[in-house]
Amino acid sequence: MTLLTVRNLQVTYRSETAVSRPVDGASFTINPREVVGLVGDAGAGKSTAALALLGLARAPGAITGGEVIFEGRDLLKLPEDDMRAIRGRDIGIIVQNPRAALNPLLRVGTQIGNAYKAHNQSTEAEARKQAVDMLRMVGINDPDRRVEAFAHELSGGMAQRALIAMALSSRPKLLIADEPTSGLDVTIQAQFLDEMWQTVQATGSAILLVTQELGVIANYCDRVLVLHDGRIVEDAPVRQFFESPRHPYSQDVLRLFRERGGEYPAQITGDRNFLKTDALTKHFPLRNSKKVVQAVDKVSLSIGRAEAVGLVGESGSGKTTVGRCLLRLVDATSGQITFDGTDITALLPADMRKIRSRMQIVFQDPYDSLNPRWTIEDLLAEPLRVHGTPDRATVRAKATAALKLVDLDPALLDRKPRGLGASTLQRVNIARALILDPEFVVLDEPTSVLAPRARNGLIALLAKLQKDLGISFLFISHDLTTVRYLCQRVAVMYLGQIVEEGTVEQVFSTPRHPYSAALLSAHLFPDPINRRVDHPVPAALQGEIPSPIDVPKGCYLASRCPHALEACRATAQTLTQLPDGRQVRCMRVVNGDI
Amino acid sequence: MLWRYIAKRLLIGVVQLFGLIIAVFFLIRLLPADPVSRLVGMNASEEAYAQAAAQLGLDQPVMTQLAQYLGLQPSVQPGLLQGSLGISWVTNEPVLSEIGAYLPVTIELITLAFIVALLVAVPVGMLGALNPGGRTDKGVFLYSLFAGSQPEFWWGLLFVYVFYYQLGVAPPPLGRLSPMTNPPDFVTGFMLIDTLIAGSLPKFLEALHHLMLPVLTLAFILSGPIIKMVRQNMLRALQSDFVLYANCIGLPKKRVARYALRAAMAPSMTLIGILYGFMLSGAVLVESVFSLGGIGQYSIRSVLAFDYPAIQGVVLIITAISLLVYLLLDLVHAAIDPRIAH
Amino acid sequence: MTDPSGPSDLPPLAVRKRDGLFIFGVTIVTVVCILAVIGPYIGPYDPTLTTPRVAYPPPGLFAIPGTLLGWINGTLEYPPHWMGTDASGYDIFSRVIAAPRTDLAIALAANALSLLLGVLLGLIAGYYRNWGTEFMMRVSDVMQSFPVFISAMVLVALAGRSTTNIVIALAFVYVPIYIRLTRAEVLSQKSRGFVEAARALGQPELTIALRHVLPNSMTPALIQSSVTIGFAILLTAGLSFVGAGVRPPTPEWGLMISTGANQIILGEWWPSVFPGIAISLTVFGFAVLGNALERRYEEGQ
Repeated sequence: MTLLTVRNLQVTYRSETAVSRPVDGASFTINPREVVGLVGDAGAGKSTAALALLGLARAPGAITGGEVIFEGRDLLKLPEDDMRAIRGRDIGIIVQNPRAALNPLLRVGTQIGNAYKAHNQSTEAEARKQAVDMLRMVGINDPDRRVEAFAHELSGGMAQRALIAMALSSRPKLLIADEPTSGLDVTIQAQFLDEMWQTVQATGSAILLVTQELGVIANYCDRVLVLHDGRIVEDAPVRQFFESPRHPYSQDVLRLFRERGGEYPAQITGDRNFLKTDALTKHFPLRNSKKVVQAVDKVSLSIGRAEAVGLVGESGSGKTTVGRCLLRLVDATSGQITFDGTDITALLPADMRKIRSRMQIVFQDPYDSLNPRWTIEDLLAEPLRVHGTPDRATVRAKATAALKLVDLDPALLDRKPRGLGASTLQRVNIARALILDPEFVVLDEPTSVLAPRARNGLIALLAKLQKDLGISFLFISHDLTTVRYLCQRVAVMYLGQIVEEGTVEQVFSTPRHPYSAALLSAHLFPDPINRRVDHPVPAALQGEIPSPIDVPKGCYLASRCPHALEACRATAQTLTQLPDGRQVRCMRVVNGDI
Repeated sequence: MLWRYIAKRLLIGVVQLFGLIIAVFFLIRLLPADPVSRLVGMNASEEAYAQAAAQLGLDQPVMTQLAQYLGLQPSVQPGLLQGSLGISWVTNEPVLSEIGAYLPVTIELITLAFIVALLVAVPVGMLGALNPGGRTDKGVFLYSLFAGSQPEFWWGLLFVYVFYYQLGVAPPPLGRLSPMTNPPDFVTGFMLIDTLIAGSLPKFLEALHHLMLPVLTLAFILSGPIIKMVRQNMLRALQSDFVLYANCIGLPKKRVARYALRAAMAPSMTLIGILYGFMLSGAVLVESVFSLGGIGQYSIRSVLAFDYPAIQGVVLIITAISLLVYLLLDLVHAAIDPRIAH
Repeated sequence: MTDPSGPSDLPPLAVRKRDGLFIFGVTIVTVVCILAVIGPYIGPYDPTLTTPRVAYPPPGLFAIPGTLLGWINGTLEYPPHWMGTDASGYDIFSRVIAAPRTDLAIALAANALSLLLGVLLGLIAGYYRNWGTEFMMRVSDVMQSFPVFISAMVLVALAGRSTTNIVIALAFVYVPIYIRLTRAEVLSQKSRGFVEAARALGQPELTIALRHVLPNSMTPALIQSSVTIGFAILLTAGLSFVGAGVRPPTPEWGLMISTGANQIILGEWWPSVFPGIAISLTVFGFAVLGNALERRYEEGQ
């Protein structure tokens, strides 16, 4: 007996100027206790479909057709009050951006209590007790204090736990999880999904897990639904989906995963110190305080000619600031940066400008990094004009060539960024960075806002460009799958420090620093054979990242590390080379204890 | 925490007021106006002119005048530091007591106008937000745009023509009471309160009757921006993620409505404060249409007579009250929205 | 919960476009602009000269066709007073259509002046943050805390009731708004990726400020212009109404309403009502236009 059957669901958005149908004839089923993944590109209508299961649509949208049959009743035909009774009691939902979904004016405990009271006869005191119990159940420490918190006082992970506490307070038969981990860090994401999975095993709910991440699908789902052009185009058990996707869209999404195999990129030979930092440090002063934010703390890094080095870490690790310091977009507080033998930290502005034509950067957000008022041609011409006075024909020719290099149609030259997709714009950014034939490029999470399919295409392009043009890359990312595919060496950062550095093979196959190990164990590789839920991994680290304002005296990880000793807390750790050539910042690893 | 915030705001306010005093003081002395000849007449003898200038203190260097005005330097009159706003050059009365007589008129007028405007505008604005883009909403929106861009003095005249001349339901626009009526003793300066203190219900009703049209005019003008704001805030609240989520988890309709209402009211406080502060001097045209004798008319009189101490006093007092009102409503806002105190 | 690219990314099934409000706003603004140029010359009478007919009412509704016919045939002794005459004998119609020359010109000039100054100062204050620009913002705060109507009145009355002084006074009142608007936008634009990208290319700061930040920061100020022009017309009229504006017999709507104000309790409604309708429609037109522009801008975002 199926729990939920959806037939020909259709949602229509009608505005003053346009009508569109993000969901247009979607049909699928969910069985009791089953974990079903719903994948699709950004904007494919996944969230819209998830909301429609509850009979809701964001303004100005409306559900314009189809059936949602839950336990034998068509929810879309129920009277308003009956529908309200089912929402939250029989079907719970958690959404992305949990902090916005919490009422900013009410305490979290009150909100959970309200949710409970809506579906259960209870007094104020019982509701409150229920709120505390639920928060404890979803893994929040000292729930008695947290019920008093407001949404803005919670971290993203905490807020998502508060939502799930609300969603599960009446033990629903189905939980809809709409990209629940989209804003969360890697370690928090795995922790949260593990807890969600376990909690649901206890309550006996089925899950519809909406996501863009193949890693999430592979590790947690039993079955996969692919939403494309408003319809379900593929419905397959998870292993079958990864082994032999049938729909062309699915094949596209899985291409990178299927092509890669187990090979690591070959190491470079030749100049290893083309770009080198020595004890690079960046402190940001705090307003009205003598304290500083230690964004980057004595980072020494070297990148060889034509080498791709990955810089990984969670948000707040300082990896982005390192990239900005290298190009002197922010000036380092202390330390040296040597580029091809020249110390650029001390260069005068005029000399620095000359060097800028040899080093470039691509930013994370493609929409934000192109001036919306300029045409693509003008945007591509800007670097040429800053570093010379080219005539129109030269500009046109070079701009055309640059677009071709990134597989874009030269017809785009006369358009403005508005209306172009993220992937196209990011390619324009790359073309712009490459138009001066730089020798070194910083890629600051260039794929993080792209949908999986576009991401695959862009990564393949970057790999090809790096090989063909012999450029050095510093690839900043939190996505380990990408780094493994693209880079020869990798450095892992935590709270402004490099904690481990070595070849990708070394770090990925045998991580030595406890933080690297934790990061890798938390990473959800898209591998349905070794599912996380089948081989439960104990949480490698406890708690959340400490503030970079008051850093610990000794090892920065000591408060979260399962191997920490008194000595770790007392003494500052140094980056030390191991016999196999990698460097690790951990005295216990160096001493051979772990 | 709260008291520190209030103290900080008050301190900033005082600094701002001080800047304002200095700016106004120099500004009016930089402008090419000759208050002395305005006072003694164009044909006065040179001696009479010099004598008047000396009497007003205008023969002193500007910095001395400033010091005397602030009360830093002993002179015949007390200064600001001694709690005096100076003596009016026209009436020879202390400016502070004159303002004390005129200000309550304006406060009474605009407070009533705000109450009426809010009573109408809040439901109307919400009505518009309930069905965005619908016929009602478009009507509500157009009305708010219209009312918010109208010459209030002309509407005042129009109302006088219709309600007094044509329909005869309103009194002539000749003050707060009929010229025949003996005004009650001055206690608070608020006519509605003073008539009640005097125990005269007929006078109270008469005062209310005389306030009818001016309040209607101002409430009409005010309803524009207030409706627009209520509609916008309500719309934003209704389309917010947390209201959608409240629906998602099946909270009862009433509870969801309360969530939205509270979220919409919180940011409205600030704008109402700004509007109220603006109206303290913005009611001037309506006051003069209905000859109410409020602070606005006092400022017209002072400006046209080049009465410097009165001008300085009016600007200072109005700004000070505005800043206090902002602070008060910001505190209300902070009480509703915990994010503000952050 | 939000679809990042939103439903607008999907191909529209049907497109309809109709913006009546925008057309209404544009029409009114255009008519007033044309009148500001030719208004004083096309009326039946010289707007600054009196006629011997004092306080004549306008023709009644049913008398209009006959008057029109007589006017076309040239059988009238004098051109008709479509809106009557006031207590001094001025032809109200001629003055109503001549007034945009005063009202609109003052409003446009004041707006242009304050816009120019405000955008420039706002750009500087937003782009270069040091004690100098901080001080400037404090001064701007103090200016903004002035009671608007009183400070305009003080400036005009004490500097002399000339058109130029009214323009300067209004500009003084509106500059802080533009500074604040532009500065806020500059602050948000200058932290955007394309500014940092230009810096990474080695673009000089001044070029970045003028070519990247400024063009992207002006839209809010330009939209505000439409609202400001409307309010400037109201303020100009208000100043005249209390006797601190332009001098008679300059044709100006506020002055005309003021002239008629004393007659209205005697039932002579026309000297005030017609110029009032003109202001009411004009300012509403600018508000509508401003709102339509604002909506387009927000949709574009």
